Amino acid sequence: MGVRRSVWEPRGAPPVNLAFRFVAALSGVSAIAVGLVLFGAFFAYQRPGSEAPLPMGPLGHYFAAFAGCALVGWGSALLAGARDLATGRRLAPGTAFALVLLAVYRMVGWLMGDYYALAGDLLRWEAGAFLLLALAFIWLRPREAPRVSF
Amino acid sequence: MRWLATAIVVALFGLNLWMPDTALGRRGTERTVHTHVPAASSWLGQRLAPLRFEDLEGRTVSTADLLGHPLLLVFERSVDW
Repeated sequence: MGVRRSVWEPRGAPPVNLAFRFVAALSGVSAIAVGLVLFGAFFAYQRPGSEAPLPMGPLGHYFAAFAGCALVGWGSALLAGARDLATGRRLAPGTAFALVLLAVYRMVGWLMGDYYALAGDLLRWEAGAFLLLALAFIWLRPREAPRVSF
Repeated sequence: MRWLATAIVVALFGLNLWMPDTALGRRGTERTVHTHVPAASSWLGQRLAPLRFEDLEGRTVSTADLLGHPLLLVFERSVDW
């Protein structure tokens, strides 16, 4: 399964496209991995006598599994975007927006005492990482394909 | 559009860095203790203000009901998901 080159990415492609492929692939694999863990946590929680794998109750595990499924879908789309730059170009703005949303609720969570008590400054670190990743998706977004007329 | 998105993200990044220095975000065990303990120590030995609240079984309890026993009151915000 090789990397498919887009029509506007000739040999010796600009480094920005290679960087985009790398960021998209890394994000995609990470999202899928985290998604599978969250999905698996739901089933681990259902085992009789088991301890909660995540620090929350039945409702929390239910929504964690939902988030896990969504992450697997998002990650798969990002992997497709890493393989095909036209797809990646379409995915980049939405991905950056979602990353900003992820950062915003972490920042608000940090300000709220409840979440700070659970995760401390990790929330701010994660928010910073998501914002940097959003910047990467904004600036590394592949350029539009040149129009070709026949 | 790209610059606008960048400006928003950079502004949020700056806010994320600045948050611990805001009045709302100033916290931390050591800082909290330093701030609150001297003020709270002035309350020691004073009469508890009249309070009414619900216990875990839903019964209403007032401070008058608590007189005459050793008592430990713990106030906690619950994180119950």
